[in-house]
Amino acid sequence: MAELKPILLVEDNPKDLELTLAALEQSQLANEVVVVRDGEEALDFLYRRGAHANRNTIDPAVVLLDLKLPKVDGLEVLEKVKADPALRQTPVVMLTSSREESDLVRSYELGVNAFVVKPVGFREFFDAIQDLGVFWAILNEPPPRPNGP
Amino acid sequence: MTQQMQDLDLDACAREPIHIPGSIQPHGMLLAIRLSDRTIAYASANIAGTLGVDPASALGQPFAQALPALSREFEADLADPPPSGSTRTLRTIRLDTRDGISAYEAAISRSGECAVIELEAPPRDAASGLDVLYPTLRRFVEQLQGASTVDTLCHLAAQDIRRMTGFDRVLIYRFDAQWNGTVIAEDRNEVLPSYLDLRFPASDIPAQARELYRRNRQRIIPDANYVPVPIQSRSPDPLDLSDSVLRSVSPVHLEYMRNMGTLASMSISILRDGDLWGLISCHNKEPKRVSLQVRNACDFLTQIFSLQLEARENTALAENRLRLGTVQTRLLAHMAAEDHFIAGLVNHPEDLMLLAGAEGAAVLTQDHCWCLGRAPDEEQVKALFEWLSEHHQEDVFATDRLPQVYPPAKTFADRASGLVSISISKAHASYVLWFRPEVVQTVKWSGNPQKAVEEEAGSIRLHPRRSFEIWKETVREHSLPWDQSEIEAVKELRNAIVGIVLRRAEELAALSDELRRSNKELEAFSYSVSHDLRAPFRHIVGYSELLKKQEGGDLSEKGRRYVDTIIDSAYTAGTLVDNLLRFSHMGRTALRPRPVDVTALVAEIRHRLLANMPERHIEWDIGDLPPVKADPVLIRLVFENLLDNAVKYTRTRTKARIEIGSERKDGETIFFVRDNGVGFDMKYVDKLFGVFQRLHRVEEFEGTGIGLANVRRIVERHGGRAWAEGAPDRGATFFVALPNHNEGAA
Repeated sequence: MAELKPILLVEDNPKDLELTLAALEQSQLANEVVVVRDGEEALDFLYRRGAHANRNTIDPAVVLLDLKLPKVDGLEVLEKVKADPALRQTPVVMLTSSREESDLVRSYELGVNAFVVKPVGFREFFDAIQDLGVFWAILNEPPPRPNGP
Repeated sequence: MTQQMQDLDLDACAREPIHIPGSIQPHGMLLAIRLSDRTIAYASANIAGTLGVDPASALGQPFAQALPALSREFEADLADPPPSGSTRTLRTIRLDTRDGISAYEAAISRSGECAVIELEAPPRDAASGLDVLYPTLRRFVEQLQGASTVDTLCHLAAQDIRRMTGFDRVLIYRFDAQWNGTVIAEDRNEVLPSYLDLRFPASDIPAQARELYRRNRQRIIPDANYVPVPIQSRSPDPLDLSDSVLRSVSPVHLEYMRNMGTLASMSISILRDGDLWGLISCHNKEPKRVSLQVRNACDFLTQIFSLQLEARENTALAENRLRLGTVQTRLLAHMAAEDHFIAGLVNHPEDLMLLAGAEGAAVLTQDHCWCLGRAPDEEQVKALFEWLSEHHQEDVFATDRLPQVYPPAKTFADRASGLVSISISKAHASYVLWFRPEVVQTVKWSGNPQKAVEEEAGSIRLHPRRSFEIWKETVREHSLPWDQSEIEAVKELRNAIVGIVLRRAEELAALSDELRRSNKELEAFSYSVSHDLRAPFRHIVGYSELLKKQEGGDLSEKGRRYVDTIIDSAYTAGTLVDNLLRFSHMGRTALRPRPVDVTALVAEIRHRLLANMPERHIEWDIGDLPPVKADPVLIRLVFENLLDNAVKYTRTRTKARIEIGSERKDGETIFFVRDNGVGFDMKYVDKLFGVFQRLHRVEEFEGTGIGLANVRRIVERHGGRAWAEGAPDRGATFFVALPNHNEGAA
């Protein structure tokens, strides 16, 4: 039985983290959400090293990646992922507070799959997260439904 | 005689090699001694009669052998001959001639490899000796001190030269820029008529004659009817007589003298800075000799006169410079006080015109034209500007006869016969022009200058004019000439302006550096606002929503309203931050214009708007919307804002109507969005496009008051305009005009 791929959420701000988790929760995805708090940890998880050396999860269905992160920032993580043939296929969605065009342009240059400027309104945020989660976690990789009809 | 023919004839006259006539005048003798071997190389034929030596046999002989006494006399002088270009008057010597012992005045000069010795018997009635001449010279020098003007000076010189020489008439003759000569002072008896104020055409003294006058300051012709004495030589080369005192003159000139009724003439050149300024010209009705000594005294006096003249003119020039310097200082102060140097000039026309002694002026740039004082009108000045930009890009251009070089000026000769202009910048053509009005002058020519020379029928010989009758010419389309100090003053003004322009350019460069720096700071600031200020608002909204959702049931009605208000306020604040960022961004980001299909754009925006409000019924009237060249992202914002507003402000109408159309006019494409909504009072029209300016209460119509500010900012960055018309409760029309060059420019 194929294991459901997790969603990797990379977010340092606890409030944004809580709100994002709430939104994901409401979208009723079955996928596990793995949370890491900075860029370095995100790379450790992806490369199975450090604290995540012995993780037994499979690679994520999608990485929701905040742009501004401590240690290694979002753009660097994105660059590493997209430069690595083994990880390149993993979809990365950039989440950001910024409307700065330079960030957006740079992300697209690096091969981001989607770019979401976190809207001020919670409902729009919720919609965006749900759309993303559903699109990348479910539609791209239809999960088996052991309990479904 | 046609002008062309005259040119031809005068040219022939000007070609005559007058420095090598091959003969001398008969009142003296000439010997040329080759300096290398002291042999006689040239001799005038008349030495035979006086010295009893046959020139033919003397030629080629050593000087000492052929003429031992003479050779001894000049031994020392030949050992140290003068350089070419100067004549040394030696002394009076006594010679044993066939007529007994005679006195001779001797002069020596240099011609090629020969020393030229000239011997002249003094006239019988000569008042010889420096003793006789000294009082006159001394008196002249004393009087010079008191002569304050050039006129007085000239008059004194004419008087004293006549006193020393005894000529019937002495003229001071001054050349103009075209080498016409005017008699500016005269002293005479009743024998010859007055020539005062008469003008003589340049052709009277052709270029090569002027060159001789410049080189050899004295010339005398004691008798116009003389028979020339040939110079004999074994050499095929004629002897150059440029520095000679006895040189035979052109037969044309002798004819000229006879026609003028003067059989004797003498002239002394007046030089200024090595150039020919004028002549002291002496005439006698009857033949007349003047001793070499007196001629030398006259030359000496003339040199003193020249120096005084130079001093007087320099003083006048210095005084003018000082006066103009003061004006210039004032102009500089005006220019420094204004934002732009041009304002400093055009706001002080009196000083500007005073600087050049002009009665009118104009300041021109590529886009503007200011006419000041008595100037031609704007169209005429602009046409002149075109001509100048094409033909006279030199720093300073001056003429006192503009209609001659620029025929269209004939129509405004009364204001601008004289022009001096400075070209300030070649890249961005700009000029300052000064004008002088026409001064109609009557010039009294000595004979018709067009008939200065006549050709004898069937002969190639030229004849000078026969008539010296006053021939009046009215000179039109001339102004008073610009003097040197005025030309210098405008030149200095030009340098000052160029300096100012350069300094401005440097200041601008510094300013733009400063701007770039602060722009960078602003960018960093908005980046941080974008990240840090937006987040808290988002969190407030997010948590409040969660609170409402999860605990909403436990809250009172009032509590739920409070939560809604919190959400609403935080949402508004967050949106405000977004809009502000976008607004500031718009001013900073570079435009990336490309063709935009406005019809498709409007259709898309309309579609999106209506999707959110299925309940609205709007009647759309969409006209022809031509494509434009604009930044697609920004132009989309413009139409989004305009359509958004039109939909929003027709919300209260049961039958909403929105019309979108366009018009091409005067190089612009004008789009308009017209609605039948609540409209606005035209007295607030200026506030419409300001940041955070709202004309409605928030409860009536939501919004942050930044949309139209964005519209105007975007449109203006595209070189266009945005405006509105409306009336309360009668709808509004918003216009956006974009220049057409944006369209097909790529």
